[in-house]
Amino acid sequence: MGGHPQPEEAASALAGIRRQQEHVVDAVLVPAWYWWAVGAAMVAIGAAVDSHRAVVLGVVIPVAVIALVAMTGAMIFGAYRGAQVSRELLTERGAAYIVGFVWLVVGLTLGCAFGLRAAGAPWPATIATALGGLALANGGPRLMRRLRVIMLRNRAGNAR
Amino acid sequence: MSPSRFDELIHAPTRLAIVSLLAAVEWADFKFIRDEVHLSDSALSKQLTTLEEAGYVEIRKSFVGKRPRTSARLSKAGRAAFDLHVAALQEIVARSGATLRPS
Repeated sequence: MGGHPQPEEAASALAGIRRQQEHVVDAVLVPAWYWWAVGAAMVAIGAAVDSHRAVVLGVVIPVAVIALVAMTGAMIFGAYRGAQVSRELLTERGAAYIVGFVWLVVGLTLGCAFGLRAAGAPWPATIATALGGLALANGGPRLMRRLRVIMLRNRAGNAR
Repeated sequence: MSPSRFDELIHAPTRLAIVSLLAAVEWADFKFIRDEVHLSDSALSKQLTTLEEAGYVEIRKSFVGKRPRTSARLSKAGRAAFDLHVAALQEIVARSGATLRPS
């Protein structure tokens, strides 16, 4: 050891850093199954609301909400993967994408539910949450791909 | 030109892998780092101690239920040293590119 490396060694070290960080970004992003699981929990809540049965409401909603909170908390705070996404790599832009996506899905679900209810459609909450769940399952992985691009753009060695 | 400083401590391949990983996360569990950089528990422990003694890494020990959990994060000094080291590597590559360029 000692002294500065040769250009080839420096280039190889930089490539190693990029590979390592790319691998970590892939490991810490939210997996596709999460979006399907959240979508399923939403549909369970919607179906329970439409059932109008106190026992179903009293059991399904608390269980689904606890599952949603536990899964989402584990993803946000990194407990599931054993590491938490770097805020520096995610940037405010990435955070804005996440918040925008959540609002879009919530808006779509509530809008559909109230619209269907006003139109007198049967099972409005179930249909609306199913649509919201599909939007999550389809949009979630797309959102992750977008965040991956943002995070890789901000990793070490790239101009920020 | 951005500031740069080649760091012998970070440049060692294993430590470079660990610091690169930690630079991409807020914090990481011992297990996560071990699996990502393919090290044994004792080898990772030794490297983390070296980085901690240099002030580059902060180690946090906690309990999840009754199970001990060790996690690590890059300190401010570690992040700054890593950024300067990456800039130094880029400078070495860029300089060689300039000299290799046909005149």
